[in-house]
Order: sequence, then C-alpha cells, then structure tokens
Amino acid sequence: MSSYYLPQANEVELFEAAAGMNLPVLIKGPTGCGKTRFIETMGEKLDREVYTVVCHDDLSAADLVGRHLIDENGTYWQDGPLTKAVRNGGICYLDEIIEARKDTTVVLHSLADYRRVLPIDRTGELIEAHPDFMLVVSYNPGYQNVLKGMKPSTKQRFISLSFTYPKPEIEKEVILKESGVDEPTAQKLVNIAGEIRQLSDSDIQEAVSTRLLIYAAKLMVKGFDPYEACMHSIVESLSDEEDVLEVLRKLISLHFSKAE
Amino acid sequence: MSSKVSHLFSWSKVLFEDSFEKVGIFADSYLRQKASRLHEETGVSFESKEKSLKIFYHLLGGDKAKELHITDKRFIETSRTLLEKFSGKGKSFFLAWQDEKALYFPATLSYFDDKELNDMHYYWLCAMLSQVNLQSSNIMTENARAAAFLIKKYPGFQDFYKQAKNLLLQNYPELSYIDSSQSEVLLDDKSYPNPLWIYPCISTNAKLLDFNDEEEMGREDGKKDKTEELKMKKKANQIDDEKETDGLLLFLPESLMSFMEQVNVDRQENDSFDEDALYNAADLDEITLGKKDANLSSRVKMDLDISSREVEDYPLGDGFLRDEWDYKKGIYLKKYVRIYPQVAINVEPIPLPKRLNAMMRRIQSELDLMELDRIKIDNLPYGDEINFDAWIEYRGHQNRSNHPQRFFQSFEKKTRDISTLLLADISLSTEAGVTQDIRVIDMIKDSLMVFSESLHRLEDSFGIYAFSSIKNKKVNFHIVKNFKEKYGELARGRIEVLKPGYYTRLGAAVRESGKILQKQQSQNRLLLILSDGKPNDTDRYDGRYGIEDTKKAIDEVRQMGITPFCITIDVEAREYLPYLFGRNSYAVIRDAKKLPKVLTEIYMNLTK
Repeated sequence: MSSYYLPQANEVELFEAAAGMNLPVLIKGPTGCGKTRFIETMGEKLDREVYTVVCHDDLSAADLVGRHLIDENGTYWQDGPLTKAVRNGGICYLDEIIEARKDTTVVLHSLADYRRVLPIDRTGELIEAHPDFMLVVSYNPGYQNVLKGMKPSTKQRFISLSFTYPKPEIEKEVILKESGVDEPTAQKLVNIAGEIRQLSDSDIQEAVSTRLLIYAAKLMVKGFDPYEACMHSIVESLSDEEDVLEVLRKLISLHFSKAE
Repeated sequence: MSSKVSHLFSWSKVLFEDSFEKVGIFADSYLRQKASRLHEETGVSFESKEKSLKIFYHLLGGDKAKELHITDKRFIETSRTLLEKFSGKGKSFFLAWQDEKALYFPATLSYFDDKELNDMHYYWLCAMLSQVNLQSSNIMTENARAAAFLIKKYPGFQDFYKQAKNLLLQNYPELSYIDSSQSEVLLDDKSYPNPLWIYPCISTNAKLLDFNDEEEMGREDGKKDKTEELKMKKKANQIDDEKETDGLLLFLPESLMSFMEQVNVDRQENDSFDEDALYNAADLDEITLGKKDANLSSRVKMDLDISSREVEDYPLGDGFLRDEWDYKKGIYLKKYVRIYPQVAINVEPIPLPKRLNAMMRRIQSELDLMELDRIKIDNLPYGDEINFDAWIEYRGHQNRSNHPQRFFQSFEKKTRDISTLLLADISLSTEAGVTQDIRVIDMIKDSLMVFSESLHRLEDSFGIYAFSSIKNKKVNFHIVKNFKEKYGELARGRIEVLKPGYYTRLGAAVRESGKILQKQQSQNRLLLILSDGKPNDTDRYDGRYGIEDTKKAIDEVRQMGITPFCITIDVEAREYLPYLFGRNSYAVIRDAKKLPKVLTEIYMNLTK
C-alpha cells in the first residue's frame, strides 16, 4: 500500500531535486506534522529503501556505522543502518538528530558534502556512496536546550526544508483521507487545532499535531462520541496541567456539545 | 470641601451614592441580600478562573501581552425597585471591559443558579472580549456582531446564549432590549446593562496614569473592602482640565458611550460629607483627577525616582546608536537608542567579602558534584572500565600485532564549551529594601560575586555587565568583567561599587549583550538576565511598548543562537516573563536573600 501524503508547498519538488543532485536534506518541524510520512512517501516515489534511525543521547558512531559482533566462529563485522544505505543505496533518515551527541554526527560530514564517502576506521574501509544513497536528517526546533543543538558545521551541509502544521484546507483533506470522517467534523477538528496552535510556549509545551487530529477522527469513525474522542486523543495528550486541561475541555465542549 | 460632579449625557447616566447607604452595615447587608437577584451560592469567582481564562483568551487569538484583572463597579442609573433603592443595590454593576493593556472581569459571576452556567458566563465574556473591537463606538452593533459570530462558530456557545438569555430575561425584565436584534434600539434610563456584553473602555481619550502599587493604594484609602484585596485595578484618569470646564470638556462625541465621571477631590477633607457626592473610592471605578499642569505626571515621576549621585564611571567613547522596536508602527526605529559602555575607574581591588565565605563553601560542594558529571573517553591504554567494543574489535582485527590494544575507557572532566554573559539590572528600583538594612542591589552584588567565583572555579568562560537607562538618550552599560579579562580582585571591586540609578531599558541592554556574546567562540552561549521588574523608562518605554521591544530583542538574540534566561525577584513576573522568554526560560525567586545561591544553582542546572 502506498502511503498518503498531501504536499504543503513545493517540498516534493525540492526533495526530488536534492535527490537528483545528490544533496542531503534537513527537515525541521514540530512533532506530528508529517516529517516521517513525507520521507516514507518520497522513498516510495524515488523507489529507494528508507533506513530510519531515531537518535538519542547515547547513540554512538558505531550505532550508525556498524560494529564487530561475536558468534561461534569468532568476530564478524555488522554494518550499521548508515553503512547499509551507503553501500546499497537508499535513504538514511536520522530522526531527531539533535538528540544525538555532537561528536556522533561528525561521521556524517564526509557523506554530506561533495565527497560522498564513508570512512570506517575499524575496518579500514572507505566506502564510496551508492549513487542512490541519500542522507536525510530531521529535528524539532522546539526541543532545544542550552547545551544541545546542531553544530553549524553540520547544519550547513544540507538543503533545508521547514515544515509546519499544514494549512487548514490541506489538514482537513488529510484528516478526511486518513480517517474517513465526515467533512463538517474534519472542519471542526481543523478549527480546534487552529485555536490550540494560537497558544504560546508559556501556555502549552507543544501544540496539537495533525497526527492527534487524525486519531480523534479515527475514534469518531469507530463510533465514539466526538467530545469523548477529542478528550482522549487531543486534550489529555497535550497537557497534564489542570488549568490547561480545563480550558481545552471547554474548547472541545464549545465545538462538540457534550453527549446528553 | 469642593465636590463637583459632572454628569455625562450618555445613555447610562453616572450617579453617585446617595445617603440611603448610611443606614448601618447590618441593615445594609440584610437588605442587599434580600434585594439580590443574584445566586451567590452558585457563584463562580474570577480568582478561580483567572489562569484558565487567560489561556482561553490566547486560544481565541487574543493578544498575549494583555493582563487579566478584576473590574470595579460602574455606576449606571436605572430604575430600581423600592427595596433596591433602600439597599443601594442595583445601580452599580460589575461589567466586563478592556483597554489596550488588559481585560477586566467581574470578581464573581452569579447571575444563574447553576454553577456551570456561571462558569460558562466567564468563558463567554472572555470570548466576547477577544471578538469585540476596542475602537468600536457603537456597543450595540459591536456586541451583537461578536455574539452572532460566536454563536455561529461554537455550538456550545449557542446553547449557552439561548439558555442564558432566557434566564436573564426572566429575572431582569429590564433587559428586554437584548431580544430585539435591531441595533437602533434606544436605550433609556430604565435599561439594565447586559451582563453578556462587553462595555467600552472607561476612558479611551484621557491618558491613563497607572497606580501600579494597588495594595498600597488600598491601604491609603483605608478600605477593607474584600474585592479590593483581590487584585483590584485602580486607575487615576488624567483629564485635561486646563480650561476649568467643570468636566464638560468630556462631553465629546467620542466619549458619549463611555462611563466617566470626574470628581475634584479635596483630599484633606476626605471625611466631609456632601449630599451631591459621597466620596467612596472603593465604589468608584475610576478616580479622575483634574489636571492643571500638562507636565505633572512626568514631574512627579522624576521627583520620585531619579537619584543624582556621582558615579565614577569612565565612559568608553561616545557610545553606539542601536535600533529599537516600535510595536505600534511595527518597525525598528533605526539608531534610536544610545548605549554608553563605561567602566568604573579608581576601583579598589577587594578579596571575596567574608560574609560570602560560608555560602561559597556550600556552593563548592555542589561544584564538586558538577565535576562528577564527566564525559566518557574511549580507547585508553588503561582506565576505569573495560571497553568491550574495543576488545571485540581487537579480536576481529586482521592483523592483531598492529592493533594499539587500548581496551579501556574512563570518565574525565572536560572543559565545558560554554560562554555566559550575566546582565544585571541596576535601575533605581534595586534600591528597595529586602530587609531593614539589606537592599536589592546588595543582593545583586552578592549574587554577582558568588556567581563569578563559581564560574571561575568551574573554568567556564563568562562576562558580567550591568545596565540602567535614562530614556533612549543614555543607556549606561557598565562593564564589570569582560570575557577576556581574568576574574579577580579588580572585578570584585567593580561589583562592589555598582550603584542603583535610573530605569530599565531592557531591550537595548539585551541587544548589546547579544552583540558581545556573538563574538564568543563557544558552541553554547548563554545570556543570563538578572532583574527586579518589568522593563520601564520615563518615556513611552513602559508597559506594552517596553515589553514588546524586549520581546523583540530576546527573539533577535535567540536568532543568533544565544540562549536567553531570566532570573527575577519580581513576584508579578509570571504575568509577563512567559511571554518574553517562553515557559522554560525564566525563574522567579520570591526571597531576594536567596538570590546569590539560587543564581549559581540555576546556572549549574542549565548547563549540566
């Protein structure tokens, strides 16, 4: 089954162009706005396998490149996801790259510029990237803290695409397609999202994602009361603070009157 | 006693308390209860809703810099039942309204005998406030338009409005006019104000002189009114009365729809009684002081705030001109602010003051803990732990004799790649006392010393600057220790001679600090701001203007990849700091005495 993705702007063309020119791509955007879905779609479109690595602060270069393992015959070398993509072609997608330690991401440098090679110190190999190899990284600019961030020297090797939540018409379209809910309900969900996204960091940590809206719509299609569906998919997922919860509940009840 | 009352010929006439009130408190409250058409038992208080309403207002796209307050009563002449007349009830109302700075809500809402409806009533007013145009002159059409919009958009409000209107009409037949959707309905004296409506700003034309210290106002007036203890907004409304017009000047077409009263109050004879006007500050929503001198307000401020102490500060050049953000125009005022970098000369180098030794010892133990937070170093010939990866790799190596055989790993301290600029506000307000003999500035100085001492021991790179401002003409930017200078006795001496003075043009200081930090080579750059209050200055850099410029400056600094963080002792700061810095980038310290220790702790937490 091919995945569904509705472009927000010219990101598909840009991505294709970058792939054609062998340039790496950096995607910025809040959670649940369609970054991962976009890459999956592009992978299908370009007929390239996608190797996804979700980065965390203990991710070492070996986790990307590969390491020696032991079996009954002794040690053997196991390629990491990055090396696999480099050898065989494909999209290596590093999600939430700023979560990884900065020294880890340095292994990407020689891959992310004109050289397109991956040196593996441990085996002494220097792998030239497959013509279909493409490096894609993403992060959520909202999460940064004082000591985390992307090195400018890493950042400046990418074609950057900035994602936001889709425009209301597009978002409605996406909800309709993904959940099968009726049009007025989808419109209401989009309106609710629009209002929640007006809140600033001081009110709420992160605004409602398209993903959560789709969850809400799916629950409704399953037969849940709209108010209940929103409560469990949107409201409770967004905050633990009583004041915020109260307002969000109120907002939902204004749009979908509570079931009698 | 001079007591003049000027009536406004708007649809709702202004009226003052008459002598019926002088009946005695018990009888009074009994009668009030009796006459009440409110449902106090199911009432909802603003206090319990304030936070939620604020978020709700933001949800609906409301201006995030606006504050929420409780409104005072407004006096509106209506026809009253005999009982109401005796009890004094029914002619003063708590109405929802807004001005450019804030939204004003009634302290409690209890029109309905259903708590949920009263609760919803607050949300309704909040939604209406987000819809109603502040500038609109016709409240009828504007309210009708806003209500129609909300009803159409939110089924929940539709239900509420229907229900609320019916209940209100049952209880208040005077409100029948809300049922006629025509905006031309003439409101006469018999009309009640509609509790579902938003009323115009008390004054749109007169300049507002804000009494920020409401609590003190309350004490001065000797009022123990409960509503007053809740954050009540007192305003003195300056009206140009140079021509001695008996307040008739207020009768301008623009003010027709506003409720406004002017009393020339003889403050010396507060207690004297006049049958025309009973001066009752608690019940007056706005005390209008006749203004005879155009410069009065600024002069008063000058006398109160400015010190004229000699400073031994050596100016470094003529200063630089920097931009400032004008939110009203939505543009930068180019080269609008002059920044004067200066450094104190003839300063005596001093050791760390003895009073701080004990604190420094306590902090040292925390600094030691920081050093435990080390980073892993791989591939060592010897060390704390075996590195299995290295060993497996060795096992798998083709030519083992060539292998470096470094199988260990250790955790070692590494210099932290961070530059921190500490920016201290030393405006005159820091002269305020924390206790009898300690001032805020003393705590700021101690904080700077402990902070520098700690960062010095951590070997982190840092600079310390302090600022104060006199309008846009002069922003004093004191260099206490720059990034290149080694920390030592001289820097401590410069901290010791810091003196409070002038105002807080925070935006300019933040921009200048950003420029300095930008030149630092570190991977991480932190701007710590130590402050005791809102940005302010004697020109328009006060309230919204100052907040917006500061916000802009903070955003610019963020753009440079610098992380701003604000530490304040202003307990009111929660109202504006989240807007300026975002939820996770500020800290409010209630007890200024804890500032030295907490500042350093915050730094350590931020950079762990």
